[in-house]
Amino acid sequence: MSTTQRILPKGVSEADFDAALVRFREILGADSVLTESDQLAAYSKIMMAGDDADYIPSAALLPTTTEQVQEIVRTCNQYKVPIWTISTGKNLGYGSAAPGETGQVMLDLHRMNRILDVDPDVCTALLEPGVTYQQLYDYIKEHDLKLWLDPPAPSAIAGPVGNTLDRGVGYTPYGEHFMFQCGMEVVLANGEVIRTGMGGIENSSSWQVFKWGYGPYIDGLFTQSNYGIVTKMGLWLMPEPPAYRPFIIQYQDPEDIEEIVDVLRPLRIAQIIPNAVVIVHTLWDAGTHVVRKDYYEGSDSIPREAIERIKADEGIGEWNVYAALYGTPEQIEVNWKIVEQAFGASGKAKIMHGEEAEKRGGGFEYRSALMKGDMNLQEFGLYNWRGGGGSMWFAPVSQAKGSETKDQTELAQQILGKYGFDYVAEYIVGWRDMHHVIDLLYNRQDPEETQRAHDCFAELIDEFAKRGYGLYRTNTEFMEQVAGTFGEPLREVHKTLKNALDPNGILSPGKSGIRQ
Amino acid sequence: MQNTTTVPSRHLPSRTLGALALAGALLLPPVAHASEAREPSEAYRQVCAHCHAPDKAVGPEITIAFPEAAWEARGNYIRNTVRHGRAAMPAFRAAKISDPELEALIQALVSGELDDAPVADASNSEE
Repeated sequence: MSTTQRILPKGVSEADFDAALVRFREILGADSVLTESDQLAAYSKIMMAGDDADYIPSAALLPTTTEQVQEIVRTCNQYKVPIWTISTGKNLGYGSAAPGETGQVMLDLHRMNRILDVDPDVCTALLEPGVTYQQLYDYIKEHDLKLWLDPPAPSAIAGPVGNTLDRGVGYTPYGEHFMFQCGMEVVLANGEVIRTGMGGIENSSSWQVFKWGYGPYIDGLFTQSNYGIVTKMGLWLMPEPPAYRPFIIQYQDPEDIEEIVDVLRPLRIAQIIPNAVVIVHTLWDAGTHVVRKDYYEGSDSIPREAIERIKADEGIGEWNVYAALYGTPEQIEVNWKIVEQAFGASGKAKIMHGEEAEKRGGGFEYRSALMKGDMNLQEFGLYNWRGGGGSMWFAPVSQAKGSETKDQTELAQQILGKYGFDYVAEYIVGWRDMHHVIDLLYNRQDPEETQRAHDCFAELIDEFAKRGYGLYRTNTEFMEQVAGTFGEPLREVHKTLKNALDPNGILSPGKSGIRQ
Repeated sequence: MQNTTTVPSRHLPSRTLGALALAGALLLPPVAHASEAREPSEAYRQVCAHCHAPDKAVGPEITIAFPEAAWEARGNYIRNTVRHGRAAMPAFRAAKISDPELEALIQALVSGELDDAPVADASNSEE
């Protein structure tokens, strides 16, 4: 093979890269330094609408210890080699396991997969980044611990550390993941290791129970950033409640979203309903198990008439609220009455639980599993809706107010419609906020459709920002654009921190739009 | 409490010793998976079955036995799909499933050994 075909990190000479590779092999062993194209292929698979050629790594490093990560970082500084860090690499609609740009070296932490501690008394865990939810789940079952996890929808194959660091969400009362993180070990760009919170105290017993430590609270600096490499993370786990009641509420009219949110908000803020509720649109609810072409063959967005047929055939609503109650059976009975009263007032809602909800089918089974933290990948069924493996999560934040929800829904439908895509969406209700999560599904095998998806996503970002709606997270193709919507002064602060903590710019350049 | 799942109490009356043993769980040594190869059925349960088990129907069924003459071709197809991904199928790196694990898994899949593999995750059984 001619050397001109070789992919090198940006600005790094072939000689320096070779010297770095020699050092990486000394640190990790030759088997854990991947450079062959067939070994690297798995890092290039993306679902977002970007050009494959922009996301090819030059190598992948597979450390198993913090000390190895420190040595890798020191070597990267010496040769100015940029690395892109991943843990389980399964945030599929946000960039998967691909590097931020071609030529970066993957720092793949998946083999750092030790469960270091699980404490059933204070309900905490200390984990390495490669631990998957499935692995932790199996450990908890194996040791008969009465603890629940809070996985995101790709539960089994994703992991708590990566998901939390990207500020992902789940569906139990512990749904806002960063809120339930406690204590980190971080390798800085200079090779030093710090422990946040109480972890700086040698032999601290409170590292996983007290988040704040002493002085400025810095854990947030290591989420959605490129300021350090998190090699251990503490996590709070939910004690298994004595009883659990998942339920569904269906509404049939598009404009009902307004009533749903306004009824739900006080119940959520007061923790009558304690979990991260979802308000799921027809096409998402059906899309996990129904394929589009059974209802519509056109390449424009699916018409209202087809949506109505899906609703009738599948017995689902325009909006489907999935929520759950947790506690003692007595507490659940009391709260159930409050929920029934609140949602029953207008006469529009169909409220179901137990057998009635199970018989209704749709997403109830897998939603019930997710709301109790069980492993489940049913949501991947959405990828069959349009087919072709294209998916980008467009996730603007909204406040939990009906009027705003109606505005966002209409805006999204109008822009998606303009480009011929479907509104496959849900709202995940936090405490006072909501993540409006839209899966822009498209056929990635079709270059024209992929370009259209790209343009559509770019317009969604800009048009939402114009109306004051920002994204909570985005895929690597659009990180730069999204960073721009939050204003240059903030970006300057991010850059100042980057220059202070990583003067050679070796850690995940471009993550969240942050570079030297 | 019809229609509400009641979880058995975690308290074990007159089983204090048992409770103490449970508390000892926090002293368990770390679980290092990096060097432990998983059995094919275990890799299938942890990674594949969530989408490919017939009752999940997210991905196609992959446990159907092939005629022996087709094992190599089918194996190549599976290996390629796992490592490169295909449309909605994610790519799985060596860090997720090692080469020896993948080879054993392929052998088990093409020979039909996993045809009646337990597909239900522990989570689906009654508590």
